[in-house]
Amino acid sequence: MSNFLRAVIDGVLTGSVYALMAAGLTLIFGVMEVINIAQGILVVLGAYLSYVLSVHLGIDLFAGLIITIPVMFVLGVGIQWGLMRRLGEREKVSMSILVTYAVAIILEGVLDLIFGPGYLQLTAWYVNQSIHVFGFYLPYIYVFGFILAVGLLGSLYFILYRTEFGRSLRASQQNKTAARLIGIDVNRVAAITFGIGVAVTAAGGMVFGATTAFNSNSSADLISRLLTIVILGGMGSIGGAMGASVLMLVIEAIVSTYWSPTWATLVFYMVLVLVLVVRPAGLFGQKAVRAQ
Amino acid sequence: MSALTKTFKSMSKAKLAAVVVAIAVIAVFPLVFTNPTVTEIAIFALMFMATSSAWNGFAGSSGYFSLGHAIFFGVGAYAFTIIANDFKMAPTSALFFLMPVAGVFAMVAAVGVGAVALRTKRHTFVVITIGIFFIFQLLGFNLNVTGGASGLQVPTPSNWNAATFNNPFYYAAAILLGFTVLLYWIIKRSAFGLQLLSIRDDEERARGLGVPVWRVKLSAFVVSAFPVGMAGALFAYLIGQIYPQTVFNPLFDLSWALMTLVGGIGTIVGPLLGGVVLESIQQYLNLYLSNVDIYLIIYGVVFLAVMFWMPRGIVPTVVGAVKRRRGTPTGPTSIATSDDKQPAKPDQTAGLIVTAKGATE
Amino acid sequence: MIKLRRKAAPNFGRRKLGAALGAAVAAGGFLAACGSSSASSTSGSTTTSKPIVIGISLPLSGDFSADGLAFKQGYEIWADYVNSHGGLLGRQVQLKIISDNSDPAQAQTDYQQLITVDHADLVFGPFSTLLTIPAAKVANRYGYAMIEGAGGGPSAFALGLNNLFDVSAPVANALVPAAKWLASLPVGQRPKTAAYPTSNDPFTEPQVLIAKKIMEAAGIKTVYFNVFGSEVTDFTPIASAVAASNADVVILGSVDVPTVSAFIQDFAQQHYNPKALVATGGPDQGSQFIAAVGAANANGVMVPNTWYPGASAPGSNAMVSTYIKKFGGTVSNVSADVAEAYSVGQVAAQAVTHVGSLNQKAIIQYLHSGVTLTSVQGPVKFDNLGENTAAAIYGFQWVNGTFKQVLPLSDPNSSGLLYPKPNWGA
Repeated sequence: MSNFLRAVIDGVLTGSVYALMAAGLTLIFGVMEVINIAQGILVVLGAYLSYVLSVHLGIDLFAGLIITIPVMFVLGVGIQWGLMRRLGEREKVSMSILVTYAVAIILEGVLDLIFGPGYLQLTAWYVNQSIHVFGFYLPYIYVFGFILAVGLLGSLYFILYRTEFGRSLRASQQNKTAARLIGIDVNRVAAITFGIGVAVTAAGGMVFGATTAFNSNSSADLISRLLTIVILGGMGSIGGAMGASVLMLVIEAIVSTYWSPTWATLVFYMVLVLVLVVRPAGLFGQKAVRAQ
Repeated sequence: MSALTKTFKSMSKAKLAAVVVAIAVIAVFPLVFTNPTVTEIAIFALMFMATSSAWNGFAGSSGYFSLGHAIFFGVGAYAFTIIANDFKMAPTSALFFLMPVAGVFAMVAAVGVGAVALRTKRHTFVVITIGIFFIFQLLGFNLNVTGGASGLQVPTPSNWNAATFNNPFYYAAAILLGFTVLLYWIIKRSAFGLQLLSIRDDEERARGLGVPVWRVKLSAFVVSAFPVGMAGALFAYLIGQIYPQTVFNPLFDLSWALMTLVGGIGTIVGPLLGGVVLESIQQYLNLYLSNVDIYLIIYGVVFLAVMFWMPRGIVPTVVGAVKRRRGTPTGPTSIATSDDKQPAKPDQTAGLIVTAKGATE
Repeated sequence: MIKLRRKAAPNFGRRKLGAALGAAVAAGGFLAACGSSSASSTSGSTTTSKPIVIGISLPLSGDFSADGLAFKQGYEIWADYVNSHGGLLGRQVQLKIISDNSDPAQAQTDYQQLITVDHADLVFGPFSTLLTIPAAKVANRYGYAMIEGAGGGPSAFALGLNNLFDVSAPVANALVPAAKWLASLPVGQRPKTAAYPTSNDPFTEPQVLIAKKIMEAAGIKTVYFNVFGSEVTDFTPIASAVAASNADVVILGSVDVPTVSAFIQDFAQQHYNPKALVATGGPDQGSQFIAAVGAANANGVMVPNTWYPGASAPGSNAMVSTYIKKFGGTVSNVSADVAEAYSVGQVAAQAVTHVGSLNQKAIIQYLHSGVTLTSVQGPVKFDNLGENTAAAIYGFQWVNGTFKQVLPLSDPNSSGLLYPKPNWGA
């Protein structure tokens, strides 16, 4: 039983990190119907930014987010304004994959140029320490990461559902032409959405960098897992991304404990396929993702 | 066959001449450029031109953007290797005849993959193909029959002359390319090809017009797996070893997509041209620019430039410009322009489906 | 050595795809080269001031980029050292390094380019078995010796190529010194239980199985044994399960820094302090390892290895000082990868000097003659498969910030072993 509980706790805690990394992706995917392949490298960029602030300026990792989040926001707005805005409506998904892939390799080249291929990891007192609760050690970094995820994603939810901007954003998510007709500046909404999506990723990158040793090539393993989470959670659903991240990582941890770590990753993708066959809208989404 | 001869006859003399010249150039290329580095590069070029054509034959014609075709490359490579090893086949020229067998295995895999993935809408299709792709890659890592992370060794011909070692591989790749181009050239002119285009333009409308949407999509998917599987087999034989991550390689799909889009999606010549252009740039930057970071950055910038400068791809842009100058109207039977990314002209497509059906029945 | 191949993860890492009629682009160079591909192997007889060209393909981007860069540094400082000490056969050496982006297909193209277009006089190996196999096959086709330092997986030697020489130690027995030491401890100190998490990598699993057998024979009970896929990215569940087993010692089959770092971080968080942690790869990467896990957590971590910053093997001091002169930093920046690459250069230089020419046939014959050569990693003697049979593997440990040889205890250079391992952070 304690093995089972431990697997569940591990899954929930690591799942919150994935939720932070996936939130930006689902927002961008849901609102603009573009797939941002660069999400993985943006996570790594967030980690590098936090690294620079903490090592060179001695700023705490969490405090540093006050700087990295706006920086990443500007970058996101820049990518949308400079590149994504120019994509035509037809073939938008395919073109977005290729354009963001190009952005990803440029960013990777730049990061490699500046930092080299050596591995780095973010450090702070809470990175290696843990709190003892009910016989389980909960690492502070994951606990803080979890609180950050709930806080940030909660605010995002608030912005989406309780503000004027959120209403225009959801309007353009549902019907672009109608949104335009009632006077919403769709381009502006898109730019800000992309900005927010990338900004949230700064937080995901920081927690990622504090829990994993990374280099510029680390983005490689991330994007497929993040896309899986986004589809399962339902495109555009922030809560869905959180739910799907936690669920997937709990399943993975349980398979790893009771069966074999070798098959845990496989199960991750099997769940995706099974869910899409049975419930095409994803676990939490309302938008149908099925053709027929 | 009569349809084939008819379509040949419909070609203009200039086009026919161009095809003959292209075949002649490919045939004599390794006899003129004998350096093994050149022929090695040429083998990869031909292989990627063929696989891009197959990718385009499905994705470009149906509008379903696949990031899972590398599954068929991997299945072909593993099928080839496992069969060759299990039956202790000697590494001779005869081993090339195993390529179509590997292609059939890839088609079988495609039936299963397509049955699951093609149920979803286009956005989701992209992601589910990635998901299924990783299932295959992970199986490659974890099954005994695939050798797991250690991969499998493929026998390499040991008594072939170093100077001409690459030539059999070259001609195998050239035949694969010729076969693939011919296949899609025929499909493009068939009722089946038109049905596919109608699905791309408007799936619901196509269904309304009586197109068996599901069967057409799945058939196109499965057919496109065949050349890709054969290319996987050729790759395995040429490199002499396969690992899950080198044959189930997610970047294959991105590259096929890039080559196709740069050349011109949905056209016959597009993927061929895109393959040559992109691979030349890549190879040149790799061999002559020692700084890897700069190479990445330049490559990314070049992509972006081409995509924004010629969003429809090289072939449609150039052909469009030429046609505008000549004042020729563009018709759907022309190779390059039948699928301009202009908004669809449903009436025209619909009419064509009916005519094409009439022609084959 | 030991860490022969980094994680082979499923990924979107950029990778080169074959190529195109780049022929047209580079036709000039290629054409000039046609038809004289055999010239290089006999050029030793016409000694001129022309430099000796050494062709190398390395993974400077992609999965192996960190190791590829370290290898590049190792080759470069070897060349610098040789050139500042009279060169080879009285000629300067010139490295021609191109990247293969961790892609075997590109490695195959690269070596054809190096041999037939650049007319390399010698070729040195890339990094990893995955890239070495196609490279060695091409070299074999042209009769070139393929001397390499990190391509010693069983599948490479299974090819039976007579031109392949791995200067580093074969991996399978790497954990033997550590396992034997644990098994021989007095009963009071000897661990009672052990955990063996290992990657399914061909270079870790065999080592771990051999260590497990030795330790079980000594009555050390196995409380955890699990193989995880080399593509696993999230180690928390596995590390937590190991911690929950509360084994006295952990033998970790890891291939890279991030894996070891993830396990150590989780162990520290779980307040799980095994008496010993031996990892197959990662802790040997010098300052990179320290940067990832932190100096305090590194204390007491062990790894099998053949070279370390305080080593006294021939050329070791020269290598370290050349490294610092060229790249700055301190001795701990010199990783095992650098030493592996440097050893390749040393062995090649001895062979060329003895043969007195660049005749590949003679070089291959000499390396197969059973002669014992020297390198910064220790003695080198090849069997008929090209494995280094003279290599000795030692146990190393991070002790208060320095990387020290501690095993076998009988070796005069071993000292200062920390056991039990201090607690994390101490």
